[in-house]
Amino acid sequence: MKRTLPPGLAATQFDAALKEFGHAIGEDWVLATDLDRDTYLDHFAVDEAAHAPSAALAPLTAAEVQEILRIANRHKVPLWPISRGKNFGYGGSAPLLKGSVVLDLSRMKKIDFDAENGVAVVEPGVGFYDLYDYIQQHKLPYWTSVPGNSWGSVLGNALDRGVGYTTYGEHTARLCGLEVVMPNGELLRTGMGAMSGSPTWNLYRYGFGPSWEQMFVQSNYGVVTKAGVWLMPAPESMIGLDLEMDNADDLGWVVDVVAGMRRDGLLQQSPSIGSWLRQAAVLTTRKDWYDKPGALPDEVIAAIRKKYNIGWWSISLRLYGYESVNEASAAIIQAQFARKSAKPMTVTRWKQGEPLNPSPGQAAFAGVPITFPLANAAWHGGRGGHLGYSPVLPANGKAAMEQFRRTYDRYKEFGMDYHGSFAMGERSIVNVNQVLFNKDDRDMMGRVGKFFRALVDDASKQHYGEYRTHIDYMDLVAGTYDFNNHALRRANETIKDALDPNGILAPGKSGIWPKRYRNLRT
Amino acid sequence: MNIRILKPAALAVVGAAVVCAAISAPQASDKLDGKALYRERCGMCHQGIGMAVSLLSRRPGDTSKGLLEDRKDLSAEFVFTAARTGIGNMPRIARGEVSDPELASIADYLTRARP
Repeated sequence: MKRTLPPGLAATQFDAALKEFGHAIGEDWVLATDLDRDTYLDHFAVDEAAHAPSAALAPLTAAEVQEILRIANRHKVPLWPISRGKNFGYGGSAPLLKGSVVLDLSRMKKIDFDAENGVAVVEPGVGFYDLYDYIQQHKLPYWTSVPGNSWGSVLGNALDRGVGYTTYGEHTARLCGLEVVMPNGELLRTGMGAMSGSPTWNLYRYGFGPSWEQMFVQSNYGVVTKAGVWLMPAPESMIGLDLEMDNADDLGWVVDVVAGMRRDGLLQQSPSIGSWLRQAAVLTTRKDWYDKPGALPDEVIAAIRKKYNIGWWSISLRLYGYESVNEASAAIIQAQFARKSAKPMTVTRWKQGEPLNPSPGQAAFAGVPITFPLANAAWHGGRGGHLGYSPVLPANGKAAMEQFRRTYDRYKEFGMDYHGSFAMGERSIVNVNQVLFNKDDRDMMGRVGKFFRALVDDASKQHYGEYRTHIDYMDLVAGTYDFNNHALRRANETIKDALDPNGILAPGKSGIWPKRYRNLRT
Repeated sequence: MNIRILKPAALAVVGAAVVCAAISAPQASDKLDGKALYRERCGMCHQGIGMAVSLLSRRPGDTSKGLLEDRKDLSAEFVFTAARTGIGNMPRIARGEVSDPELASIADYLTRARP
């Protein structure tokens, strides 16, 4: 792709900046050919050109990141940091602001492991596979928590509030101690790390005074170059309780039963109640079943479910820890489900000493990294992609059923196949809906934007906000957080202007625009 | 256990065939281990239960079970082009993640002479 410069920046100044970047990190790591620009486009974007970068930089150390930020300040070059750029459905490696320079941290791959405390200190380039391999290689008694796409960065996923399948699945909550390069190039450490040589940087979260970890999550206030991540001690036992539910209306009672278990702590992991397409889309493709446009008819859905033995909804609960505790918990869980459904749960058991060789569908529950769920983008054929639409709901069955019905009707109205799930938190539900599409189907791609906006509008009427969104919709979603005439956004941007007066770091991320580019808010 | 070679079980069946303009592949360096690099940088999708194995094994007439390492019809130019321009579900791989010399070694490994 031909070069597009950042708004308001002259080519001479940009070229001067590239030259200085080359002196700082080595010319080989200034990636500025047409092909380089292409490689940082968002593969799943509805309009790839809307987020085209002007170049990319691939530093190796925090010191190089510091130098890059100093140069970017001098030349007013906007940067878009990525850890590994595998945030598919949310923008991948592409910048929100066209013409930004991607700050690609993939080469920063150091891992320090505190085996006594079960803490990994990782750099942004460390992927889930890297950390898993490190643990296996060193025979460490810990399990990773991995997301459905484990190709990405451990640190990056936690900074975007990604989730996994085990009791350590709320990844941002397992961060302890960050090292951050601030927009002016200064290096700081949060929490106890603010004390030189502290042995508790990655063990105690808060330090003294204000605690800032979440300030660097889904924000544009700094470049995180190291993070402490707590890992789950390898459990003595793991018990699985799986249930396939036959009817769409089963969602309500399942949510109520599981919400109670999450509140009282019986269930420590966050199970996700997924619609039939979540499983089907990685096993088969749409054209094997139906060749007409519009949402799939009920009889086709029934045929697919029958072939693969998939419920309308499915849920997988997992217990980790001491065997006797797990057995007692499993009995209570089964009894609570039995009050609502005659269908027995499928029970699986694993104990320390037995081989841990899970089937693909079970791998992530054992902390084993996976990528096969990405195959769902092939559902429609052609060049596939997807978007995530994920409002947060209160944890009760009535709210979940109402949201499901509203969303399901919208999918049908726009001729799309419903792919929804309800991830059960301790007090809330994250309702992740995937919008699967075929980039080679112009008619379908023409509907995606209107469909997404209709979904956000529906949620806003219920005062439900999204927990995460694609770079196309960050202003839209940020705009729904409107208490007291967007008081939080004003505060976010006051902080942004104070920390980053030149507005060089990820302009527009999460709807936070620096003064320099604020007129670009959509 | 090397997770990248976990055996596939339930996954099966159609990758989109995409034709792209070939990009000249750079020369491989003797100092790099293409096999090790392939497993580290590509294995998450192209080995075991990875996304690409699932999709490529669905292609009509596929005899490699979706495994690039078992194919004999790959050229260095094709490997380089597929990686840098993406193909089907596979996103583009930037030089920041796999450098040109590293990709050349990977291509060398995938196109090695075999009986």
